[in-house]
Amino acid sequence: MKEGFLLGGGLVITGLILELSVGPVMWEAFAWPANGIVLAGFLTIIAIMYLLRKKIYAFQFIGSYHAAIPTMVYAVILTIIMGLTRQNINGTWFNNMLTFWPFVLVYVFIAVILGVIILRRLMHLNNWKRDLPFLLNHLGLFLALTTATLGNADMQRVKMITSIGEPEWRALTTGGAIKEMPLAIELKQFIMETYDDGSPKRFASEIQILTKTGKNIETVVDVNKPYEVDGWKIYQYGYDTEMGPMSQTSILELVSDPWLPLVYTGIYMMLAGAVCMFVLGGKKKEIIT
Amino acid sequence: MMDWSCFIYFAITAVLLWGVGAWAAWRDKAALAFSTTIVGLLVFFSFILSMWISLERPPLRTMGETRLWYSFFLPLAGIIVYSRWRYKWILSFSTLLALVFICVNLFKPEIHDKTLMPALQSPWFAPHVIVYMFAYAVLGASAIMAIYLIIRGKDVKSEMNITDNLVYVGLAFMTIGMLFGALWAKEAWGHYWSWDPKETWAAITWLSYLVYVHYRQLPRHRERLALWILIVSFVLLQMCWWGINYLPSAQGSSVHTYNMSET
Repeated sequence: MKEGFLLGGGLVITGLILELSVGPVMWEAFAWPANGIVLAGFLTIIAIMYLLRKKIYAFQFIGSYHAAIPTMVYAVILTIIMGLTRQNINGTWFNNMLTFWPFVLVYVFIAVILGVIILRRLMHLNNWKRDLPFLLNHLGLFLALTTATLGNADMQRVKMITSIGEPEWRALTTGGAIKEMPLAIELKQFIMETYDDGSPKRFASEIQILTKTGKNIETVVDVNKPYEVDGWKIYQYGYDTEMGPMSQTSILELVSDPWLPLVYTGIYMMLAGAVCMFVLGGKKKEIIT
Repeated sequence: MMDWSCFIYFAITAVLLWGVGAWAAWRDKAALAFSTTIVGLLVFFSFILSMWISLERPPLRTMGETRLWYSFFLPLAGIIVYSRWRYKWILSFSTLLALVFICVNLFKPEIHDKTLMPALQSPWFAPHVIVYMFAYAVLGASAIMAIYLIIRGKDVKSEMNITDNLVYVGLAFMTIGMLFGALWAKEAWGHYWSWDPKETWAAITWLSYLVYVHYRQLPRHRERLALWILIVSFVLLQMCWWGINYLPSAQGSSVHTYNMSET
């Protein structure tokens, strides 16, 4: 285990040097096609590590518990620091952990370890009762982790302020820029219902959507019930609070995440893996002991 | 109309039944242990169900309401573990812990209104919280077992498969609860994972239990260290469950505090 802790420590130090020399991780730079290229390169490196594992000791070590456990401990510690410090998009170091090199490197290394052990298992399948839960859990996590991280730069989240009687084509990006959308939304009516004590019960917008692809849709968007059209999910986000139920505007959030199907595949695999763990987990031990 | 004032009658009946079940388990009267525990669970659940109906929403929103579920799931987890591995002590443990949570609700009730804000009106709400509560109950059992084994000393190798089994079940449910949360978050907030303080601590807790599971797979490892990992994991779980409510870094930045801040 000592080697693993030293390796993890090396990653943290490397991360600190990178943080000091090149600054925080620039995730925006990973927009398509850069993230696709990085993913391909990443998978190639994992495959090479797997193929050379018998020639190069370090690559064999990566696929061992002695590498995995210390790396997880580092991830726990760094994530605890993240949980104890206030996170801020404009923060640095601990205050913006997601761009802090040591944090990123430790999680990338977890993905490398996952990749190597998944490949090794895939090449040596022999007992489905062990292999299936293993692959669902590990491959699911690998898929969700890598595609969620790399796909993040392609995610678009914009706010659209819609008004009654005025179809709106433009939306505001998180950076405050105006963006022309491939669809227009006109607010038909804003709906706000309250409980007897005045606390909110329902926020919703009756809207008409016109898309560049020629669709003309009338629908209602509720909190918790987004509407999806042409790869965009439309969410109820806000309204004119001063007008309350009489609000003539409704703020909608439009989200596009082209990598979502891959992330969801990973999530569903992990869900199936968890069910396997519950059903088979205990029994496996009984056989061994 | 059912409200918290009726709680004490249901609670006393259920605890008495669970107590008989716990006693029966020690005496190897499995049939009696099963029947009384299950009847106790039905009594307790009928209160939850009545609350659900009279509140016109699942009673899952406040700490007091989640304690209600926790008190329900502890004996349920206990009886499932008992049916599978026949540990005599498990029902006593689960009854005692359920009693603690019932007492908290009796003496420090957080009585609540009927309202459920729009952000929580989702079919994901009930499964997400219920699955998590069940995971917490089982992992609580594993933590108590770990403390017991550490205090008792001696050779713990043979009893370690108890903690292993509990952790496998608890971790499975925790994973499901977390991923349900991710799927719900996508529908409610537009993203499946936002590193909200609650999510960050959920990830910490999850990883920490993974450390235990993997460390136990090492051919040569120290059992006592593994037990300590389990205890630390459960402390981290407390942070995730209620600790972040008191954490300065999480104030005002967590969507899990349920203040509608739409503008």
